[in-house]
Amino acid sequence: MIKVDGLHKRFGAVTAVDGVSFEAQDNAITGLLGPNGAGKTTTLRMLYAVMRPDEGQIRVDSIDAVATPQNAQSRLGVLPDGFGLYPRLTAREHIEYFGELHGINGVRLQERARELIDLLDMGAIADRRVGGFSHGERTKVALARALVHDPQNVLLDEPTNGLDVMSTRAVRHIVRKLREQGRCVLFSSHVMQEVSALCDSIVIIASGRVVAHGTPNELRNQTGEDSLEDAFVALAGLDHGERA
Amino acid sequence: MNALQTLRQIAIVTRKEIKDSARDRRALWSIVFSVMVGPILIGFTLNRVADREREAENVRIPVVGRENAPALIEWLDQQSGVVIVDGPADAEGAVRERTEDVVVIIPNEFADRFRQSRPARVRVVVDNSRNDARSTVQRVLQLFQQYSAEIGSLRLITRGISPVGVRPLDVEEVEVSTAQQRAAQILNFIPMFIIMAGFIGGMQIATDSTAGERERGSLEPLLLNPAPRVVFVTGKWLAAALAAFISVLLTTILCGNLPRFLPLEEMGIRFHVGVEHLPGIIAAILPMCLFSTALQSSVATLARSFKEAQSYMGVLILLPMIPGIMGAIYPIGTSAWMYFVPMLGPYVLLTNVLGGRETATAAYLNSGLISFAASLMLVRVTAFLFGNERIIFAR
Repeated sequence: MIKVDGLHKRFGAVTAVDGVSFEAQDNAITGLLGPNGAGKTTTLRMLYAVMRPDEGQIRVDSIDAVATPQNAQSRLGVLPDGFGLYPRLTAREHIEYFGELHGINGVRLQERARELIDLLDMGAIADRRVGGFSHGERTKVALARALVHDPQNVLLDEPTNGLDVMSTRAVRHIVRKLREQGRCVLFSSHVMQEVSALCDSIVIIASGRVVAHGTPNELRNQTGEDSLEDAFVALAGLDHGERA
Repeated sequence: MNALQTLRQIAIVTRKEIKDSARDRRALWSIVFSVMVGPILIGFTLNRVADREREAENVRIPVVGRENAPALIEWLDQQSGVVIVDGPADAEGAVRERTEDVVVIIPNEFADRFRQSRPARVRVVVDNSRNDARSTVQRVLQLFQQYSAEIGSLRLITRGISPVGVRPLDVEEVEVSTAQQRAAQILNFIPMFIIMAGFIGGMQIATDSTAGERERGSLEPLLLNPAPRVVFVTGKWLAAALAAFISVLLTTILCGNLPRFLPLEEMGIRFHVGVEHLPGIIAAILPMCLFSTALQSSVATLARSFKEAQSYMGVLILLPMIPGIMGAIYPIGTSAWMYFVPMLGPYVLLTNVLGGRETATAAYLNSGLISFAASLMLVRVTAFLFGNERIIFAR
């Protein structure tokens, strides 16, 4: 479970995140929805502790992620924006490198790598260097790497961005599977359909603030719009031009 | 997080960086090439010096008009290492065009003048702007002077005068810059090349694992792993230092084998790097490998891009060259303070080891400890930079 309270982050004169609060439950998929530049990535970066918030609290399974970032990181699996793979390492080596850094080794690590390779259906590419991989294949490697330590909480920063139909379906399949396993999945997207198809709960962010928080149905009721997309546009305040 | 876990994580990062960079064939070859260039350059230059020596002893003299002075030619032919050949038709042209180092012209009137005991002219065509022909020219001039002196003495003796009386001066040339010394001067560059090898050898990993890692976007995921930043920095640093150390060993082995390929003995040079020197070399150089790679990592982390990091490396490389070049040109005396300067200490120690001079253990300790302390400080600086969001995300 992830609980965020009053998160603030400024870069010079720009306030990227301006008082974001929300909760993401276990056994559920929470969508962080917002237009580009709304502060989704910055929020996630503070969650997985590569950025420090200027203000606010983050709790990962009741661990204070600001005070003890490494303890929180042990309970987080993260697919960051831009996967950052090593072109000269193989898919399996990526999984093993991060597994080892999380303190997994020996037979357990080999088994875990095999499990993930099966789960993500990447047996054919497991021992090839990732340098020549397609976007979809790289997404799989980054996902496997993020899940190697069997984290309770999974953060995915725009995981389906730029993927083809089949790869997108594969990612959705994995995300649902993670929920079935009782995990807390938080994933960000700027694509409405993506979020409405997948999420139990949606947090809409615009200009660094949470403008709405609820189930897809609650959001529709709240705005009185029939489609979730119209609800999103209305809530994110993107409709000034359209209605004028 | 206990200490053992931290050490294990450092080892994991080091191993990954070594594996990763070992697969970068192009970078690997560029390192091997830069490491080998020094010893090969030394070998090539020394070989030239040796050749030049041999050339000067064995001299081929093209002579135009040899029929005009058969006695002189016969005398020349009898001198050791001298070969007389027919000269080219255009003597001056041949020397100017560099097809010949020297051409001797014996004019038609030589025989008449010689017989009349009048100075008989011999023309030696040379190009004094050519350094490579100088020793040959000198030898030829010397031969004629010797012949001239011998004939002069004989003429005096036939007239009943002692030849000693007409030699008021006995000039003896004492050559200070012998080929031997020139060769020894070239060998002075060896410590510099060994130090450079350490510097170049670690550079690739030091930049690729910091600035390169960030540019590929793989730094952010790396930092997701539950470990203090100093663990990542230390792991990367040690990988770079190991690479630096391996290139030092390679260069040393290469330099140690130089005498096999070069006629150093023949030139009267005693140069020997053997297994017994290795502990001294390692003690001198290992702390330097740690220091130089720690410095490279810090600087590369500060750079905004991989390209920028590489251009900084180009400037940094001047650092190990300064003591080397100064030392090769003006042999520097050894003072105690030198051991306390990170790049200079190892250089002085290395010249001591290779020169077979005894060095106090304290000097090794001082130099090693200073380098080590400076490295740790730089690693802390890099770890601090790794904690800075501006650096991580290269804003």
